[in-house]
Amino acid sequence: MSATLTLPRVGVEQFALANGLRVVLSEDRSVPVVSVAVYYDVGSRNEREGRTGFAHLFEHMMFQGSENVPKAGHFQYIFNNGGTMNGTTSTERTNYFETLPASQLPLALWLESDRMRSLKVTQENLDNQREAVKEEKRLNYDNRPYSNAFLHLNELIFRNPANAHSTIGSMEDLDAATIDDLREFFRIYYAPNNAVVTIVGDFDPREARALVEKYFSTIPAQTRPAPAEVDEPEEVAVRRETYRDPFAQLPGLMLGWKTPARRTADFYSLSLAADLLLEGDSSRLYQRLVKDEESVVGIQGGIGERRGPSSLYVFAIPKPGHTTEAIKATIDEEIRRLAAEGPAPQEMEKLRNNILNDFTRGCQSTLYRAQRLSEYALYDGDPELINSEVERYLSVTPEEIKRAAARYLMTDNYSLLEVVTAGAAEGEAPAEAAPAPSGEPEEPGSPPPQVPPPPRSDAPSTASSSLPAEPPPPASPGQPASPSEPPPEV
Amino acid sequence: METHTETFRREPPPPLAHRTLNLPVPFETTLPNGLTLVVVEQDRLPLVNFRLALPTGDAHDPLQIPGLTDLLTHMLNEGTEEHTSRQLAEEVARLGATLTAGASSDYTTVAASALAAYGEQVLALLAEVALRPNFPENELELARQNSHQNLIAQRAQASFLATERTARVMFGEHPYHVVSPTHESIDATTRDALAAFHRARFVPRGAVLAVVGDVRREHIIARAGELFGGWEGEAPAETRFPDPPERRERVAYVVDRPGSAQSNIIIANLAVTRTHPDYFPLLVMHTILGGTASARLFMNLREEKGYTYGAYSSLDARRHAGTFRATAEVRTPVTAASLKEFFYELGRIRDEEVSEEELANAKSYLTGVFPIRLETQEGLIDQLVQMKMHGLAPDYLHRYAERVRAVTREDVRRVAREFVTPERAAVVVVGDAGAVAEQVRPFVERVEFYDGEGQPKEAPAGAPESEEAAAGADAQEEAANAE
Repeated sequence: MSATLTLPRVGVEQFALANGLRVVLSEDRSVPVVSVAVYYDVGSRNEREGRTGFAHLFEHMMFQGSENVPKAGHFQYIFNNGGTMNGTTSTERTNYFETLPASQLPLALWLESDRMRSLKVTQENLDNQREAVKEEKRLNYDNRPYSNAFLHLNELIFRNPANAHSTIGSMEDLDAATIDDLREFFRIYYAPNNAVVTIVGDFDPREARALVEKYFSTIPAQTRPAPAEVDEPEEVAVRRETYRDPFAQLPGLMLGWKTPARRTADFYSLSLAADLLLEGDSSRLYQRLVKDEESVVGIQGGIGERRGPSSLYVFAIPKPGHTTEAIKATIDEEIRRLAAEGPAPQEMEKLRNNILNDFTRGCQSTLYRAQRLSEYALYDGDPELINSEVERYLSVTPEEIKRAAARYLMTDNYSLLEVVTAGAAEGEAPAEAAPAPSGEPEEPGSPPPQVPPPPRSDAPSTASSSLPAEPPPPASPGQPASPSEPPPEV
Repeated sequence: METHTETFRREPPPPLAHRTLNLPVPFETTLPNGLTLVVVEQDRLPLVNFRLALPTGDAHDPLQIPGLTDLLTHMLNEGTEEHTSRQLAEEVARLGATLTAGASSDYTTVAASALAAYGEQVLALLAEVALRPNFPENELELARQNSHQNLIAQRAQASFLATERTARVMFGEHPYHVVSPTHESIDATTRDALAAFHRARFVPRGAVLAVVGDVRREHIIARAGELFGGWEGEAPAETRFPDPPERRERVAYVVDRPGSAQSNIIIANLAVTRTHPDYFPLLVMHTILGGTASARLFMNLREEKGYTYGAYSSLDARRHAGTFRATAEVRTPVTAASLKEFFYELGRIRDEEVSEEELANAKSYLTGVFPIRLETQEGLIDQLVQMKMHGLAPDYLHRYAERVRAVTREDVRRVAREFVTPERAAVVVVGDAGAVAEQVRPFVERVEFYDGEGQPKEAPAGAPESEEAAAGADAQEEAANAE
């Protein structure tokens, strides 16, 4: 059975300014709001050794004022005019975005263009934001169970330092950042020819285009930065390590595989294989490990999608008396079964309906569309892909899913990280456990969602961002979706 | 860097013409058994959302079994008279739908979403898990085991420890003090207890089924009648809860988490319920003080001082009681310095009238983000459910902006003086007790210490202070002397 469904079609109008800035417009008058996204082609993949965390630290600097906007003025202008905003950094890119009442489109473009044109980098602001970023690191990694272990898993999966290191970086490297470094970084990476601006929502396209030209066309282009070097060596290697976590109360098991780049043929098939194994309560590994064997309290995982070599990870929390070896063996068995037999017809129906539902549901939000359009424009030079990628996923055959599982997961090329609690004796097998929340969509290089969820989930574990999530409103566990008043979404 | 930009960049541009949000007018009807239906037809995208909301929440847990409601909501998807847990999971996934249940203090929701083409099927599943769960013994045993593990794991989170201590201190014997089950209550959650509780509290009177999406109203009402019309049960008597304790002094509650990289700070006092007449003035006050990243707390503790990644206030207004809180996670050595800034800001919002500009900005923020929240079906249905469960007026959405705009500077000052009470605040600090105890002490009349299990413990032996901490404490003394 399949739904008779007309997929929403996202309007796409694109052009480039003479300075190389790529612009995407998508008009939709249904709600009087507008989202603006600015994507710069710089992420942790562009950082060299000794300068980790730089792209993200810089993202914070982008809120510290420019020639006509005072320090923190960006926050204030957006909030004080009824908008929401944030900036985030991943391995692939640094993005800035705001959603505002439709009448405030000029304000958003004025703010975004002023910092692209004339960012002010001062020692005082650098010192201040370095502290804010260190607190972000403490909050989201150093003071939290499993998060640093997950960052270490990436260091096992990848050989190339550009891929292996974290977006948040190290304290030492953050300390080493200088004003001159930052100015040079801005000049190279924050040039209009290294960026995409996308506008989605309730606006007149002619008016929007005129505004974009007014605010962005006089920003000078720069020599294009050297492309990031993200190649990984061909290798067959099993890496296993133990990670002693000072805060974990229960041990954990993390597995990682190196996988093909986004939008390659095998990427689609492997993504769907990962969904069948890991996505939701109906997934093969949840049913097998949590429900049948009762060997883990929770399991989650997914693909960390990148333009270069990517990864697939699994994170499980074993129950008392169940060994890492036995759990790994069951996971292998499920991978082998998928690789040998392929998906069942009802699983193909499930994939299809979930692909259709997820895309359609995402399209409700102007910000979601602005972000997807920006990615396709920046990574692929083709924002129209937003309308054809669904078909691309739907075209994957059971045979292709089967082959992808065999080729990439049924292999002696994986990393295994055993997280032991601080109290565990040297060499002691993990003995206890906890459940996993269902996975948030993952940003590349992000930590796994916390296990188990706190009373209300904390900052979503997406890539590092300029503003934390609103503090969890005080309430009981399992509170339905929203607190009673608008959490600033930042 | 550029230093001379074009003159047109000097001033922020004026807005374009205002565009009005067309707020939906929900259609409402009540079935003979008392279930209220609220329907909004919205055909922008071929999607539908359902929420069944019941006015029973964690606060209604049996006294001896805290956490029962949460375990019950988990168990709804774990087996019914017609389907096993696995069959339910597979059927929901096959439709590309979602079906989840959860509870807050005051109410419980069973939520479903799907492509509109599968709306009827997922609504039938929603009715099945909400009305006819059968709590299979094997699934319950698994849920209990996992809950025990979950309980252990939660204690690794500083944020959990902070929330737990705050709830206990603020609510005393009031059931809002419960934020998680206990090992004992997990074991006490039997199949009979779940079934009896479900029978008593999952009743149609007072419940609401909200529907937003690409549906035909007549059609969905007819279908809801078939699925829910036979649902029976008497409304339970209104529960009376003990009052939260009255606070008379400023006390610190330090939860020891050895090796903590930060101090999680929550400064709390009792405030208002969701329907209190001062809710909107408080909302505006909170927005100015700590509602956003441009509010006073954030600008001070992060943008000026660099103590934290984020400092905010929150307004926790529930059906029977509520709190006002100021929160931040700060690096351990600046715990004292951060408390000093918190108390400075809490005093300032009470003592000085806010500026016209701050007031206008807060109103603009609240009224501006309002339509953004209604952009999605999920956002709208959330509002509809809250209106019903908190007993808000039917014109709440339509009058929201008007009520925000009506708040004056005098209102803000009045509610700050009444509901922000730092002299009687609870100061919860989760961190390395040895490193924070002496930093906290100068700010409070006394300090209580707790361990990671939530049990009282002795004050730590004096720990050496870092230079930064000593500077913070000095600053505090100076401030105290100046007053």
